[in-house]
Amino acid sequence: MKTIYLDYQASKPVDPEVFEAMKPFLLETFANASSLHQDGDIATDALEASRSKIAQFINAQDPKEIIFTSGATESNNLAIIGYALRNKKKGKHIIISEVEHISIHNIAKYLEKNGFEVSKVPVDFYGRIRFDKIQEKIRDETILISIQYANNEIGTIQPIAEIGKLTREKGIIFHCDAVAAEELIPIDVVRDNIDLLTLSSNDIYGPRGLGVLYVRTGVLLTPIIIGGGQERGLRSGTEDVASIVGLTKAAEIIQERREADTKRLTELRDYLIQEVLKRIPKSHLNGHPKLRLSSNAHFRFDYIEGESLLLSLKDEGISITTGSACSSKTLEPSHTLISTGLLHEEAHGSLEVTLGRYTTRTDIDKLIEVLPKIVERLRKLSPLAD
Amino acid sequence: MKSTKYSDKVLEHFRNPRNVGSLEGDNVAIGRVGNPVCGDLMEIYIRVKDDIITDIKFKTFGCGSAIATSSMITEIALGKTLDEALEITRQNVADELHGLPPIKMHCSSLAADALHDAIKNYREGIKLEPVVDVPTKSSCELPEPKEIIGLDQFLNKGVYRDYSNLDKFRDKRVIVVENGEPSIELAIKLTEITGRVIFMTPLKMILASKELQLKLKISDVKVLHEAELLEILGDTTLEKVKVHDLNEDTEYELFVDAVILP
Repeated sequence: MKTIYLDYQASKPVDPEVFEAMKPFLLETFANASSLHQDGDIATDALEASRSKIAQFINAQDPKEIIFTSGATESNNLAIIGYALRNKKKGKHIIISEVEHISIHNIAKYLEKNGFEVSKVPVDFYGRIRFDKIQEKIRDETILISIQYANNEIGTIQPIAEIGKLTREKGIIFHCDAVAAEELIPIDVVRDNIDLLTLSSNDIYGPRGLGVLYVRTGVLLTPIIIGGGQERGLRSGTEDVASIVGLTKAAEIIQERREADTKRLTELRDYLIQEVLKRIPKSHLNGHPKLRLSSNAHFRFDYIEGESLLLSLKDEGISITTGSACSSKTLEPSHTLISTGLLHEEAHGSLEVTLGRYTTRTDIDKLIEVLPKIVERLRKLSPLAD
Repeated sequence: MKSTKYSDKVLEHFRNPRNVGSLEGDNVAIGRVGNPVCGDLMEIYIRVKDDIITDIKFKTFGCGSAIATSSMITEIALGKTLDEALEITRQNVADELHGLPPIKMHCSSLAADALHDAIKNYREGIKLEPVVDVPTKSSCELPEPKEIIGLDQFLNKGVYRDYSNLDKFRDKRVIVVENGEPSIELAIKLTEITGRVIFMTPLKMILASKELQLKLKISDVKVLHEAELLEILGDTTLEKVKVHDLNEDTEYELFVDAVILP
């Protein structure tokens, strides 16, 4: 059975054009970009052309500010640990938000074990950062603030420009994890005063296993991977030129179609939200009604548990995800949902729908058709639903 | 192993659960385990005649394996004597289902515990009420409010006793702490200006006229039963509260913007 894939936030297919662009660099032009021979020069040229293109993608002023890594997790590690270790004499306090990606939370924990203090900014019911609380938490020793561009679970878009303005005024470095936002929101690191920015290749239909860290000129980091000194010494290891060329192609495609994609996905998403809330009693939207990614619809249904919802949808051939504990490795419900003020039992009944380039109206109609029946069946089993 | 990598037998029971429902009448006992906060709540109903389980039903809020293990244990236990049924272990349930992912083994414990609880309640003549509760007498009186840590520090900085001007609660996450019918009316009124109102009561039930109870039930107020405020947390203004779950005797944190106290 062909499945209906509605989990684009977790993983995206590689665009066929991206794959084509990568092929020559896998099969023919395979030389090491550090080699000084002619073949090596071809690889170097491709690498540097890509760097320029990615710089332009986020309006970075100098291609040198682009560092290629093995993925967004590594970029987050290099940004936060790299900055904290290099600049600890300036202060040992960093600020993150309650709804950051799990990698940021665990990096913060690691720094806490190593003598740093971490404050977490709370969010409102819609998952928006409470800006007043950032100001409250800034101290003289604060050296870095890390806030996501948009939330990876509930899709809430954060007030990035305001945060950038504040941190620049205060002389605090601003790291922004833009992975959830990069597909549909044009990013401008200059306009928004962003000092460090994380991107992922796969999140714009590029190959997996590749990420980017933007490091504004003048921001100094300690490398966390030591080796042959590639990427200005900040990220050693032979560059994966084929993937980097693929990412560059992916970025070009995104820039061409972003506007049309946003319009199409917004319409589909709004249709889905409207129909689900209308057809299913005691159903709710998680996240912000307007300030949300066009690709994200996130629901919760009273009295039922997310994993049984997911399993039932699986039987219908629909691939989808949940914030429930029972589908996770830790059996803890999503920290993002809890941070918005939901009770554990509410977080357990959530369903995350993320749309993408190949999602059709027919897919959404199928979900709208089967979901009410599934919710009804599970409620019949539930002792909470009388 | 993925936590949702289930055997075909587990999936079959999840898709077609046996013996769903509840039982009423004489010779019926209910066993109940779990907590919706942890993502699972199981109820097993047994009817006993001549020491034999002659009928058995279940209701479960939980993940796929919680539903499958409930279904499985009702099949295993039906027709057994009470002593035989007490011998059923979580391993028996898991084995009958051709195994469970290690992280889901607690689900089969829950099923066994719920069955054993029902048998114990039957033998001791304990009558549990279904979960949407008919109150017991002891749960009808408001207990003395306990001291809340941080109350003085956060008074008027997120914690309010004065709510003559409701406008400051617009679009805020508000907890209204139980203080009789006026507090219920306040909670319902607040839903006109904000999407998130929690009514927190230490009781299992709502103390109010039938009419007001119904109004509360159809409103957007989220009722939090058997819960007490322990502590107010934040830097200079309220960020979250620590809540005592009186039923489970556990504590958890809840993010809010405002608390209204009697």
